[in-house]
Amino acid sequence: MEKEPGEHETSAGRAGTPPAVLIRGLWKRYGEQVAVAGIDLELPAGRFIGLVGPNGAGKTTTLSMVTGLLRPDSGTVEVGGHDVWGDPVAVKARIGVLPEGLRLFERLSGRELLDYTGRLRGLAADEVDKRATQLLDVLDLAGSQHKLVVDYSTGMRKKIGLAAALLHNPEVLFLDEPFEGVDPVSAQTIRGVLERYTRSGATVVFSSHVMELVESLCDWVAVLAAGRIRAQGPLAEVRGAAPSLQDAFLELVGANDRAAGHDLDWLGGGAR
Amino acid sequence: MTATGSLTAPAPLTALFVRLKLSLLRNGLRQSAKRRAAYIGSVVFTLLFAALQLLGLIALRGHDHAAALVTVLAAVFALGWAVMPLFFPSGDETLDPTRLVMLPLRPRPLVLALLVSSLIGIGPLFTLTLAVGSVIAVAHGAAAAAAGVLAVVLTMLLCAALARAVATANTRLLSSRRGRDLALLSGLFVAVGAQLLNVGVGKLSGENGLASLEPVADVLRWVPPAAAFDAVQGVSDGSYGPAAAQFALSAAALALLLWWWQRGLTHLMTSPDSSTIQAAEPRRERPAGARPALHRLLPDDRTGTVVLRTLRYAWRDPKTKSAWVTSLAVGLLVPFVTTVQGGGSVYTACWAAGLLGMQMYNQFGQDSSAFWMVAQTISSPRDAYLELRGRALALALVGVPYVTLVVLGSAALMDEWAAAPEALGLALALFGALVATGAMTSALYPYSIPQDSGYKNVVPAQAGLAWAGIFGGMLTGAALCAPLIGATIWMHTAGADDRLWLLLPLGAAYGAALALAGLRLAAPRVAARLPEILTAVTKG
Repeated sequence: MEKEPGEHETSAGRAGTPPAVLIRGLWKRYGEQVAVAGIDLELPAGRFIGLVGPNGAGKTTTLSMVTGLLRPDSGTVEVGGHDVWGDPVAVKARIGVLPEGLRLFERLSGRELLDYTGRLRGLAADEVDKRATQLLDVLDLAGSQHKLVVDYSTGMRKKIGLAAALLHNPEVLFLDEPFEGVDPVSAQTIRGVLERYTRSGATVVFSSHVMELVESLCDWVAVLAAGRIRAQGPLAEVRGAAPSLQDAFLELVGANDRAAGHDLDWLGGGAR
Repeated sequence: MTATGSLTAPAPLTALFVRLKLSLLRNGLRQSAKRRAAYIGSVVFTLLFAALQLLGLIALRGHDHAAALVTVLAAVFALGWAVMPLFFPSGDETLDPTRLVMLPLRPRPLVLALLVSSLIGIGPLFTLTLAVGSVIAVAHGAAAAAAGVLAVVLTMLLCAALARAVATANTRLLSSRRGRDLALLSGLFVAVGAQLLNVGVGKLSGENGLASLEPVADVLRWVPPAAAFDAVQGVSDGSYGPAAAQFALSAAALALLLWWWQRGLTHLMTSPDSSTIQAAEPRRERPAGARPALHRLLPDDRTGTVVLRTLRYAWRDPKTKSAWVTSLAVGLLVPFVTTVQGGGSVYTACWAAGLLGMQMYNQFGQDSSAFWMVAQTISSPRDAYLELRGRALALALVGVPYVTLVVLGSAALMDEWAAAPEALGLALALFGALVATGAMTSALYPYSIPQDSGYKNVVPAQAGLAWAGIFGGMLTGAALCAPLIGATIWMHTAGADDRLWLLLPLGAAYGAALALAGLRLAAPRVAARLPEILTAVTKG
C-alpha cells in the first residue's frame, strides 16, 4: 500500500489527504476508434462529483476503467491512494459501483440480491440483514423486496442497484447514469440518499448528460467530450461567466454555434 | 368457413390479410444471403418431409391398423398446433392480434380474415399433406372419399382456429416476462422430445408396433379432429351413424373454438395491454430474518452464498434451467433408450456424468453481464477459488446423487449389478475431470450466451471460441480419465474380478482430486482476467 513514492507530489487534496480518485494518462482504443484519449483527472474526496459529456464522450468507458471492470490500454488509476490494478483488495473494498447497461442477477428478489452481494462482500449475515432492511426501507423498495428484480421497473432497478452498491459502505461510489429512465419520485429518493451519503464525508462520482441535474446536485464537475477532459474543477469555476452549466458545456464542446434548423421552416402552424 | 355465419362485407379484409401473409412469406426471401439460405433450406426440408410422410401414409393403405395410426396422428397434429404459438410466439407475426388494436375492425370479419390467412404458409401446407395422406390411407369408396374431403377441411379449420384461439387467450402471457421464459424453454422440449420420439418410433416400427396404438385410438376417435378421420374409416366400413356423430362433434368443436376465439379477441382488443399490468404477483412474504431451509443448511460464507445463487438460477432462470434440465433428462434417457433398443451397458450411465459435468463449462457466460457483480467482489485468487468452488459444489450437490441414481438404475434395468461399482467410479471420475476442465475453460475461453433465444447458446462471433473450449475441454477431460480406464481394463484382464469394487472409491477420490486441482489452477487465471471475462460474456 505504501508502494507509490509519487503519491504525495500528485495529490492536491485538502491538507494532505489523497484525492478520492487520481487518473493519469488513461487511454482506451477499440480498433481504429479512440474511446478515451489520455485522461488526467484528480477528483477531490468528500464531494458530489459530476462527470458530464454528450453521448459517446467516453463516460461509461472511463468509469468502467476506473472501477476495474475494463482494462485500460495505458494509464494508471488510484482510488484513495491505492492502485486499481495493482492493489484490487484495497480498492474493491473501498468502492461501490452502479454500472449502466450491465445486468444484475435479476432472477433473485430484491432482498436476495442484497443478501447475495453483502455476503460476497464478506459481511456477516445479521449485518447484511440489518443494512438491507434499512436500505430497502429508505429506497422505498420494502413492498417489492420479495419480487424478482427481473419484474422491477427501471427506477426500481436503479434503486436496488444503488442499495447493492452502498451495502458495504464504500468510500467512493461510482454511478453511471443513475437517473436515466428514472421517474421523478424515485429520482428524488436516490438524490436524498446520495446527499446524506456525501454529507458523511464519502465521495460520489456520477455520470450524466443532463446538465440541470448535475448543476443542482454537484459541487465539482468534469466535462468530457470525445474522450478528453475539457474542463474540471468546482462547479462555479467550470461554469465561469456562462448563465448556466448547460451554456458553459455547449461552449466547451463547441456545439453552441449550430444554427437552429433553417430547413424545417414548413414545420408547425400555417399550410399543411 | 360456414361456421362463421352471416358476415358483413368481409371480403376486402380477408383479401388484405391474405396479401399480408403472402408478403410476410415472400419477405422471408429478402434477408441476408445466409438467412435466405436457411429459410429456403427449412422450406425444402419441410416439403420433403411432408412428401415422405405422404408416401408412407399411402403405403399404409389397407394396413390393419392404419385407422388407429391416422387417428392418433391427427390428435398429435392438433396438439402441435395448439402448443406451437406458446413456444414459438415469433413464428407467425400475424398471430399477435394486439398489433391490430388501433385499427377500426369488427371481431367477426377479423376472425374470418385471420382464420383464412393462418391457413397460408408452410405449416398449414405440411398439415394439409398429412391430412390428405391420412384420408388416402383409410378412405375406400366414393362416399368415404367425399367424407375424406370434409374431414380434411374440418381438420385444417380446427387446427388453425385452435392455434389462433390458444394464442389469443395467451397473448397476455406471451407478451409478459413469464411467457418469454416459457418460449426460452422450447429448446428443452425439442431436446427431450427428440429422445422420446426416438423411443416411440423404435417401438412402433417393431413387429406389431402399430397394434399398440389401438387403445389410444379408441379414446381419441371421439376427440376432434381425430374424430373426423375415424369417421372416414367408419364411412368406408359402412357405419354411417357413428361417422355422422363424429363429424357433428368436429363441427361443434370448430364452432365452439371460433366462439371462444372471438370472445378472447374482443376482450383483448378492448382492454389495456399487459405492459401496464403487473407481470408477476409479489412472492410469498417471509417473516423478517427467516431463511429458506437450504439457506440454513449451507455455510454462511462465500461458498454457501454462491451455491445458493447457482441453485436458485438453475431453478428460476429459463436459460439456465433449460440447460440443466436438458442435461439431466438426456443423461437419464440415453441409458434407458439404449437398453430399450437392446444394447448398451451400465457404462452408458457415464453420459449422465458427462452431460451434467458440461454445466461447469462457461460458468461466467451463464451469468451474462451480471458477472460484473461477481467481478467486483473478487480481489484475489482466493476469492476466485471460493467462487469457482461454490459453483462446482452446487453442481456436485445435484450431480453426485443423480449420477449414482442413474448408474444404479441402469444396473437394475440391465441386471448388471456386478459392473455398477466400476461404472460409478468411472462416472464420478469423469464428472470430476469435467468440473476441472470446465473451470479452466470458464477462465480461459468465456463466451456470451444470448439471453433472448431458446436455441442459440453462443453468439455467432464467438462460436469458434466456444467450440474450441468445449471440445478441447472434453478431450482433456477424457484424457484425464485414461488412468482409471486403464486400471479398469487391467483389472479385468488380470482376472482381479473380486477386487473391481475398489474402482469405486478410487474413481471417486480421483474425480474429487481432479476437480480440486482444476479449481486451483483456474482460480488465479479468473482473478487475473476479470475484465477480459466480463467483456467476453457481455456480447449477448
